[in-house]
Amino acid sequence: MSKHCETFDHTADVGLAADGETLAELFEALAEGLAGVYCPPSSVRPAETRTVAVRAEDIEALTVDFLSDVLAVLEVERFAVAGCRVTDVDETHVAAELSGEPLDRAHHEIGMEVKAVTYHELAIARDAHGWHGRVILDV
Amino acid sequence: MAAPYDGTLEKLDAYRWRIPVASRDDMRVDGIIYASDALIADVVSGGGPQQVANVATLPGIVGASLAMPDIHWGYGFPIGGVAATDVADGGVVSPGGVGYDINCGVRLLASDLPAADVAPACQRLAAHLFADIPVGVGVGGPYAFNRSELRQVLADGARYLLQRGLATEADLAATESGGRLDGAEPGAVSDQAQKRGADQCGTLGGGNHFVEVQRVAEVYDVAAADTLGLAEGRTTIMIHTGSRGLGHQVCQDALKSLRHVPHRYGIALPDRQLVCAPVDSDEGRRYLAAMRAAANFAWANRQLLAMQVRKSLARFFGRGAEELGLRQVYDVAHNVAELETHTIASRRRELCVHRKGATRAFGPGRPELAEPYHSIGQPVLIPGDMGSASYVLLGTDEAMDRTFGSTCHGAGRVWSRKQAVRKASGRRVDQELASAGVYARARGRTSLAEEQPDAYKDVHAVVECVTSAGLSRRVARMTPMAVVKG
Repeated sequence: MSKHCETFDHTADVGLAADGETLAELFEALAEGLAGVYCPPSSVRPAETRTVAVRAEDIEALTVDFLSDVLAVLEVERFAVAGCRVTDVDETHVAAELSGEPLDRAHHEIGMEVKAVTYHELAIARDAHGWHGRVILDV
Repeated sequence: MAAPYDGTLEKLDAYRWRIPVASRDDMRVDGIIYASDALIADVVSGGGPQQVANVATLPGIVGASLAMPDIHWGYGFPIGGVAATDVADGGVVSPGGVGYDINCGVRLLASDLPAADVAPACQRLAAHLFADIPVGVGVGGPYAFNRSELRQVLADGARYLLQRGLATEADLAATESGGRLDGAEPGAVSDQAQKRGADQCGTLGGGNHFVEVQRVAEVYDVAAADTLGLAEGRTTIMIHTGSRGLGHQVCQDALKSLRHVPHRYGIALPDRQLVCAPVDSDEGRRYLAAMRAAANFAWANRQLLAMQVRKSLARFFGRGAEELGLRQVYDVAHNVAELETHTIASRRRELCVHRKGATRAFGPGRPELAEPYHSIGQPVLIPGDMGSASYVLLGTDEAMDRTFGSTCHGAGRVWSRKQAVRKASGRRVDQELASAGVYARARGRTSLAEEQPDAYKDVHAVVECVTSAGLSRRVARMTPMAVVKG
């Protein structure tokens, strides 16, 4: 199983359902999925990088805090993401590098604004195939 | 979608349904949902009643956990939820009772322009406004504030803009709470939140936010309409937006910092999105101070959007904003928590009233209202979907008695966004709207499909319910002519 993320429907909002062989891949897939809601990555060149590092007391809180920090990079820096590489991770901390370039409305496909990453029906689980995560975004 | 509600729901009368306190071990009060027979099926299938029951478990909750007829599923509280907690009785404040978009709200401008003269130009007008107003993802506004200016926006809201020549006393007088909540602390707003908001003041954002040019289609109360400056056949402009990324981050930060607080105070919660703190605690005070700052940012945001709309219209019509008779009717918040004094069982109590997707609808005589609203009650602005209508209502004494002076906030969503996009497949929503005389422009590829009229409940049925239940009275109905969306 390789890392993968798709969106699903949740009332007025958007959910991310992601898989990865490792926890690192799961976080990469979720970060790329979130960034893709904001700006689909296919049109983005990996010209620059930004880093995100988060600590939290459990895996659920870690997921929400990590994705919230990714969202802040997208919104504060208007950074369009081509990919995410997790450089260090366990169940209470994660460090990652986002590659991409400044958002340019002339060249990038524009998705939708994301208000926040929520705890609602948040699920992070591990089985014989790897890691699985479901996160709902308020858009 | 959220699971349909399958718990107890008793019909009380033509407009009220009850979830009895005894139906769950952890509820402290009843849940009361305002809905007519026409609306109740959507209410149940949307899963909101479960959340009304969850809110009824909050410490210090007074009366009942309430929901307005536009109730639909939300994070923690339902959208359309109203809950008041008694500060002296350990009552809590919950960010989930305000929402991510703190002080999302509605502003209405009136004009002397006859709608019949504007209608033929509406396609061009929609394009003109769309070019002038910052909308959608990754778009900053023309009013970038430096850090010290931003702190003043957070402390003083729209009132700060008065000294910058970007607001008038008349604008502030026609804004709920004068466009500024007391007790805001800029220092309680994180750096990240301030960065997210730095250049977003004066921008519309995406989702269901809009600027809409409308025709006053019907006046129900000529005297009240006259007092508010509304007349049948004239043109109005409605603005719907909130506190942008700054408010979203304030809520996100609060959910994080309050994570362990319920445990610390021995509060058991049925949903992590309901995290809360006693109003009378350091944690509670800190959230309220940050929330008020975000609310002030939102009022400044709508003020700056209104300024841009005025300029844009003046340029389009080649006449000054004063010559067009552009003036503010009112501005309401519909995602906020406020400390208010209410009389319950003949006793005055200080309550923390959460209104999430609900509008303050104070009746005449409330000390918070200045004239002319002190005499007629607080104006309530109800935005409808792009294909139907919006309303101006007034608050009532009955609302004071039954809902802590609260009413509905809009139509309420029934379809998910993806569902709406699927149902629009192969269709041109813009052309459908245009054939009905509504010209809509949106930034996002799927925005118009997501926001198509059928994705919402019938706003007329929602307003019929709150007026028949006595929570508000009708003043005027407006129909859309041109819409700009993110």
